[in-house]
Parts: sequence; structure tokens; C-alpha cells
Amino acid sequence: MMGPQPALEVRHVTKDFGGLRAVDSVSLTVAVGERRVLIGPNGAGKTSLFHCISGAHTISGGEIHCFGNLISHMPEYERAAIGIGRTFQISSVFLGLTVLENIQIAALGTHERKWDLWRRPDQITGIDGLCRKVLEEVGLLDRSQRQLSSLSYGERRQLELGLALVNRPKLLLLDEPCAGLSPAERQRLFSLIKELPRTITIVMIEHDMDVALGLADQVTVLHRGRKIVEGSADQIKEDPQVREVYFGEV
Amino acid sequence: MTNLKKVLALAALGLMLAWPFITGDYLTGLMTQILIFGLLALSADLLLGHAGLFSLCHASFFSVAAYTAAILQVRYQVPVEVSAICGVLSGTLLGLIFGLSVRTRGVYFILVTLAMGYVVWGIGYRWASFTGGDSGVTGVAAFSLFGFSFSSPKSYYFVVLFVVSALIAVYAHLTASPFGLALRGIKSSEPRMRSLGFNPAKHLYVAFVISSVMASIAGVLYVYFNKFVNPVSASLHVSVDSVLMAIVGGSGSLFGSFIGSAIVLWLRNWVSTFIELHLAVMGLVFIAVVLWAPGGLMGWVHKVTSKSSREMS
Repeated sequence: MMGPQPALEVRHVTKDFGGLRAVDSVSLTVAVGERRVLIGPNGAGKTSLFHCISGAHTISGGEIHCFGNLISHMPEYERAAIGIGRTFQISSVFLGLTVLENIQIAALGTHERKWDLWRRPDQITGIDGLCRKVLEEVGLLDRSQRQLSSLSYGERRQLELGLALVNRPKLLLLDEPCAGLSPAERQRLFSLIKELPRTITIVMIEHDMDVALGLADQVTVLHRGRKIVEGSADQIKEDPQVREVYFGEV
Repeated sequence: MTNLKKVLALAALGLMLAWPFITGDYLTGLMTQILIFGLLALSADLLLGHAGLFSLCHASFFSVAAYTAAILQVRYQVPVEVSAICGVLSGTLLGLIFGLSVRTRGVYFILVTLAMGYVVWGIGYRWASFTGGDSGVTGVAAFSLFGFSFSSPKSYYFVVLFVVSALIAVYAHLTASPFGLALRGIKSSEPRMRSLGFNPAKHLYVAFVISSVMASIAGVLYVYFNKFVNPVSASLHVSVDSVLMAIVGGSGSLFGSFIGSAIVLWLRNWVSTFIELHLAVMGLVFIAVVLWAPGGLMGWVHKVTSKSSREMS
């Protein structure tokens, strides 16, 4: 029996860096609209797995399907076009540009007018509205003309999320979106993520167990490149294997 | 501030239009050169200032366009208008080939373009039966259009001013368009651009070819100004000058390349009248700019004006 098509299906994906196996035959299936959180200690292979899904890394083995498309070896920029959006662990925003220009670039990434050589981005129908909407969503509308150098770290994280959101991705990969934020900022960004509509499937890496478990429908735990356990937040909390790798308890 | 900028731009335009009438043939010729080399610098700066690629082969497009226009007209009696167009096309064709260099980045891009530039210079210098070798191609006619010949320095100055102004307008649109914005995005973070759905290699290739078209137009303008072309126009020296002009004037700005061109050419003309080491003087100017005004003259002016407006408010 075939169930409904999953948003993301990772089958036995392996990623080697020379002699180091960063991702070791990991499989996971994420349903449409699901909130999946990946946890695991440093070096567990979470970000490497993200890079494999988004296309920043070519995989060494296995298969990746996204909304029914086989994307294992699809170039990264084409994956964006089929609806995969992502944020980076270390803010990867465009320095030297304004907040609005940052969002405009993101909005143009999968836009049919991205090769327009003549008009200004704000003269292209729809772009302005799209940008304003997402800037308001991430709380940066009043900062839109600012240079990035004048933005706080927290605001850069908000912008980072805005870049990934502007094109309404179907699958959103969030790599520790709240890392390095103060508790107040963390709370704000987290509630923003929580309010995203279920039309966006989310896979998130998060170190903070409380944040992670508050959002997740399902949690996947990685350790040394392997998936060790998968289940609901409560199951994960009680799992002896997870307690061992995470807290050093037996 | 924007009003001040508009007034300044109008004043500059007025000065440019009046220039041949308030100065003599020598200064008109110098200004013609400033415009031509400013255009070459602007073409190199599309890659450097917007996309972050440091090219050392822009003399190639410049010289191939100049040689093509000269050879067609002098040896094959092709009409000037047609030779000029063929010149631009040949430089562009070379740009389509050399554009493959955008597969490399950073220091490798610099080295690849450097090598390509040397190939063109070597051909110009050594293939004497075709290029005229050391002495190049001489006896180029004045530029003409529909039977009207722009043979006086004054009239040709206006041809150059018209072409350069039109290209500045196109360049302003191009760099403010989604395409231009994407180039700046690529300069800032290529991995992020890929994750957003851009293919940076494609954007950079197109930018490279557009840049080569502009350099070729500068080359054609140059050959009708100079009335001859020799391998010096293909040398590394010219490529370096074009990038140096952009940096001195203000890389990434619309008029910085022309200001840089004016500074470099005027300094060279002036300094070489009393000291033979004018190249050393240029080197010192370049070092000073990089150390104390990395944004070039335009960047420095911008910094000073924004600082004073902050202090006033």
C-alpha cells in the first residue's frame, strides 16, 4: 500500500569526506506539513545531512526524493526551484547590501524575471509586496533601508529566516535558527517559526532540547553519522540510548 | 543630498559639453582619452566592483576590437562604420571564449585572465605578417558616419562623449536590475545564492561577456582617436591600468572609473614632463589609495560627506 507522498524521503544517504564518514546510511521520511527536528551532539552529521538534502554537498551514496522528485544529484539551484529553502547555521546574509536588497535577491532567486537587465527589482510586479510581507513577518519592515552592518546579531538571524521564507518554500530546512540568540530573541524567533503555516514542511536542527521538543511532531536523533532513534518528543526524552549520548547517563 | 548630487551631475555634464570650447585641442584630446579609458575601466569594474572578479585580460578585448577595426578598414577598405561594428563583434567573440574563465575564482581567475591576456599580446606582437608586429597597423581613417567625417579632435570628442554617456545610462540600469543585484549577491556569498536558486556561474559568464562588449567598444573608440594600434594596447600594462583606474576612482560606483581614469592619465601626463619615473609615482598613488582610501576617491568623498551630514544633524 502506498501512503500519501512524503515531502522528503532520504534513503540510505551516505556522505564521505576522504576517510571520514560524516553521514552513514541515514534514512528518514518526513510527511507533508510535518515539523521534524534533528538533534544530536556536535559532529553527529546533522548539518552534513542538511547540505546533502539542499544540494550543497553531493552525496556519496543513497537517494533523496522531495515531493516525488528524485533530487540526489540535482544542482542546488534547481532544488530551490522545486521548493526547498534553507537557512544556515552561521548567518549567511549579503553584507554590503541593505535589508531590502537582501530580501529582493531572495525573492528573485526562483522568479521568472531574475534575468531582467533593465528594470529595477521594485518595478517588477509582485516583488515589492512579497518583500514587504516577509519583512513584516520577520519583524524587519522598519529596518528595510538599513545596511546590514548596522543590524544586530538577532536581526541578522531574523533576516536569515526571511531570505528562506520569501519564496514560500514547500520544504524549509532550518539549521539552528536560534543559535547564539538571547532568551528573549530566541523566544521571538521560535514563536515565529511555530506560527508558519502547515503548507510549509519544516526540518530543523536544534541544540536546545526544550525548543526542539516544543515544536517537533517527530524527532530524529543522530549520533556519529548514524540515525540512532526516531519518535515523538516524549519517546525521545525517555529513550535510554538518547540519554546516554546526550547526557552521558546510562 | 540627492539634490546636491543632481546639481553636481548637471554641472559635470555642462562642463563636459563646454570642455572643447573652453580648452584647446590638447586638453580636448586628453579628455577624449579619459573618457575612452574610463569606459574600459568601467567595463573591468562590472566584474570587479559588482561581481568581485579581478580581471587582467580586458586589454585583450580592447585591442582585438581595435585591431579588427583597423585591419578591415586599412587593408580591405571596409567602410569605417562596418569596420567599427566588426571590431566590437570580434572583441565580443573573444569575450564569449575567455568568459569560460569564470569557472575559476580568486587568485586562479586572476592567473587565468593574466595568461589569456598574454596570449593575445603575444599574437599581436609575434604574428607580424598579419598584425604588423611591433609597429602595428597605421593609417586608420577618421571615424565617419553616413558620409560625415569626425576628423577634428572637437567633433570626435563629441562622438566619444555621446557613446560613453549612452553606455553609462545602460550600465546604470544594468547594475540596478535584478541581474546587477544578483551579481552583488554573488560577490557577497555564492553558497547563499545557490541555495536561493541562482546559478552563479551563468550570471558571471553573462557579466563577463557584457563586460567584454564594453571593453571592445572602448577599443574601437580608441583606434579612431589614435589612428593606429600596436601591441602596447594589448599589454598587461593596459589591463592593470583599467583595474587601477576603477580602484583609484572608486570601485563599484558609476563615475569612479572616469574619475580614476582622469587622475591616472592626468598624473601620467603631468608627472612625465619632469620625472621619468612616472610609473613609480603611479605605484605610490595606488598604494596610498589601497591603504587609506580603499573605497577609492568616490568612497572617500562618500565617507566624508556622510560624516559631516551626521555631525550637522
